[in-house]
Amino acid sequence: MVFNFRGLAFKQSLMILASITVIVGLIFGVMTSQMNDKLTQMAIDNGEEISQANVTYIDNLFNSGKHFGEEVGATLSKEEMSKEELDEFLMQTLSNARSIVPQIVAIVVAFEPGMGPETPKGEFMRLARFVDNETKLITGANYQDKEWYYSTRDGRSSRWQEPFIGEFVPEPIAVYAVPIFRKDKNNENVLAGVLAVDLSIEFLKETVSNIHVPNSGYAMVFSSKNFPVAYPKAVMEGKKDSEIVVKEIAKIKQVDFDKTKKADNGLFLGTVAGGEESSIYYTTMKSNSWTFMVVWPAGKFMEERQNMIKLFIAMAAGGYGAMLIIILLISSRVSKPLKELAVAAKELGEGNFDVTIPDITGGDEISEFATAFSNMLKELKEHIEKQKDMKRIERELDLARNIQLAMLPGEERDENSDDDRHALAPFLRPAKEVGGDFYDFFKTDNDHLCVVIGDVSGKGVPASLFMMVARIILRTMTKNLKSIVKAFNKTNYALAKRNSLNMFVTIWAGIIDLRTGHVEFASAGHNPPVVRHKDGTVEFVKSKSELVMAAMEDIVYKQQTFDLQSGDTLFLYTDGVTEATNAQDQLFGDKRLLETLQKGGERSTAETCSLVKKAIDSFVQETPQFDDITMLAVQFNGSDEPVWERYEKTIDVSGKNKSELKSFVENILTPMDGAKKMMMQDAWEHYEKIVDVIPENQDILTAFVEGILAPMEGSMKSQMQINIAIDEIYSNIVKFSGATKVTLIVEVRKATLTARLTFIDNGIPYDPLKQKEPDVTLSADEREVGGLGIFIVKKTMDSVCYRRNGNNNELAITKTL
Amino acid sequence: MQINKTLENEKMTLALEGRLDTLTAPQLDAEIIGPGKLDGIKELVFDFSNLAYISSAGLRILLTAQKTMNKQGSMLIKGANADIKEIFEVTGFCDILTVE
Repeated sequence: MVFNFRGLAFKQSLMILASITVIVGLIFGVMTSQMNDKLTQMAIDNGEEISQANVTYIDNLFNSGKHFGEEVGATLSKEEMSKEELDEFLMQTLSNARSIVPQIVAIVVAFEPGMGPETPKGEFMRLARFVDNETKLITGANYQDKEWYYSTRDGRSSRWQEPFIGEFVPEPIAVYAVPIFRKDKNNENVLAGVLAVDLSIEFLKETVSNIHVPNSGYAMVFSSKNFPVAYPKAVMEGKKDSEIVVKEIAKIKQVDFDKTKKADNGLFLGTVAGGEESSIYYTTMKSNSWTFMVVWPAGKFMEERQNMIKLFIAMAAGGYGAMLIIILLISSRVSKPLKELAVAAKELGEGNFDVTIPDITGGDEISEFATAFSNMLKELKEHIEKQKDMKRIERELDLARNIQLAMLPGEERDENSDDDRHALAPFLRPAKEVGGDFYDFFKTDNDHLCVVIGDVSGKGVPASLFMMVARIILRTMTKNLKSIVKAFNKTNYALAKRNSLNMFVTIWAGIIDLRTGHVEFASAGHNPPVVRHKDGTVEFVKSKSELVMAAMEDIVYKQQTFDLQSGDTLFLYTDGVTEATNAQDQLFGDKRLLETLQKGGERSTAETCSLVKKAIDSFVQETPQFDDITMLAVQFNGSDEPVWERYEKTIDVSGKNKSELKSFVENILTPMDGAKKMMMQDAWEHYEKIVDVIPENQDILTAFVEGILAPMEGSMKSQMQINIAIDEIYSNIVKFSGATKVTLIVEVRKATLTARLTFIDNGIPYDPLKQKEPDVTLSADEREVGGLGIFIVKKTMDSVCYRRNGNNNELAITKTL
Repeated sequence: MQINKTLENEKMTLALEGRLDTLTAPQLDAEIIGPGKLDGIKELVFDFSNLAYISSAGLRILLTAQKTMNKQGSMLIKGANADIKEIFEVTGFCDILTVE
């Protein structure tokens, strides 16, 4: 497994670590600051403790020395002594002083020139010094330029001098110098000389060296001018006094150590003699402004701190590592099942519905998710299976609807029922679910047009099948019996006889006499049709509605009649029209239907149907259509024009016509695609050729027709049969009609592979359909040679029609290629 | 239409090629119909292997020829395609003619 740096586990771990770092950093910061404060406080307390006793001791000494000096100075100011007296005084004083402050090693008195006892004009300096356990008197000289002298003389005030090694007292001493004043004759104070008390500071070195400071520290004493007075020798080995300087490291200031403020005490970070960094606690001594310092070299102190930090960092680093590993482990335990699920989801996305969902237990969110995921997969699978079933059912319903629609006649030309005396247009819009509506129209003979509309109870495939059976029985019965009531009775009987599902069908059917407009009709529980008269008035046909078909076997329907006038339109419909429902649950209703038909005025039959359809659509708006909407409009024209005679071939189901039937069925069963549906609405293509009536022109006509039909890719046989038909018909015209011109109109519709050829000649009236058919059962010797040609045409073409139109013979043949 | 006529003693064979229709029928008519055309012929054979179709004009000639041959010998039609055979059936000629 490649570690994914963008993975959930890594991201999560990183975030947790970052948070921990921030928290630990804060704790560390606070701890460090606390620790520093604590350490500082400790240093201060420690320093104070160590310093206090020593500072008090030193201060006492120096105060005593000072006090002593002041006293002696005052005595000398008052009394003028002789040399001997002075010597005596000095000796006595030193002896007294040492009994109080043993560190006092000498008392010095020096006069301004001419002010001394012995040499009035010159210098006089005399000192009593304690050396080698005895007191000696020494005369000194050249003191005028000594600092202790002139600074006191010029300053005219007493004070501690910076320690130095004296000329006559050759050891480190601190000197307290007091000016000696005398009154002159004007009674003014005149400086007579300086008294100096020499305090040996050698003892300080020892005292300081012996101060025990914990944590490797030590004590030091500096003069008021920061001259090192006392320090442990061992620490400052090899250093000259001038090198022993205390410097503050300003930037790591711990306590406000500001010498200008002359704070009495404090703690600061600094260096001693350029040495290592140290914490230094200082106390300024009141008696002489000297400084007592306690020094802790940072080394150890810092080292401890450093060690603590190091330990802390090491612990943190180790902790981090451990934590990272733990978090990674936890995270990957979380993310691993997620990753597995992701892989499964990916496979699922690629269409593998058999993918195994990793079995994740633990009752946590991820196992919950896995369970949900696997449930989803299961439901998805089921859903898809269901969808497949739905698809199959939908396909079958679609097929059923195709069959249903294909069985219904499309237009009159297909049904060969068209003529000039009427016009007809059907309309059927199926509901989403296959319904049981149907219409039908056909001629029972040349002058009688039968129109049918019906509605089978219920919906779906059963209704659809029942509808087809009802329609075909009624059609066959009507064609054969040529009586609407007889056909109704027979059809009803046939349907009722085997009707275990108790379905029924409402039918309105009428036979229109196209010569007179007389209509004989019957109604099996169906809505009465509407007639729109030529004058624009609209009314329902007075139609007595009888029992629905297929309900009872022995129903006898009554024949009803009415008459259509020339220009009247008969409008048949199913309850899908009047019971179309809008969103407010209102029905389209009879009133709206009548209004629509009336408002529409005079229209073609197709326009009438589409007008009603539009009215319904705008009434129901978006409400889905629940029932089939079916209409059939017939306009009766009653023309005097000659009528086509018709010869229609019926398909012989037995024997050699099997292939024809098969292709018919195949046509229906093949679901129509969009393109084919479009093509169904293709107009007929129209071609025309006029030739002189001479035998040779037959070739021209044959070639003309072949040129049109060849691209349609019909069967070779159909083509050949059409060629023969042309031969027979044209040769008849040439031989018998006496015509001079022949017009051949070829009409084809590619979608249905249908061709219609109409021959128009101006010869004498000749109706080939009236010719006696030859008896094909006779023997060769008995057979006549004539009459065969038209017979062949009638047998091979789908239909043959003839009419005499004015001065012309019109002969039309149709053929499916 | 092409007609290949071969005579072999008393056997006449007519091999037809193309269409036997109103326009081409007179050609065949000229070959066999008329006084003395089939005199001495005992066996008349039509080879329709290369014939595309036949119209009533052709049937008429076949009927005439059949009637003649019924009196003096036999007539045989061979090689007719399915479409021509169907015409024979529709018109009842299959019962009159000997179709091989």
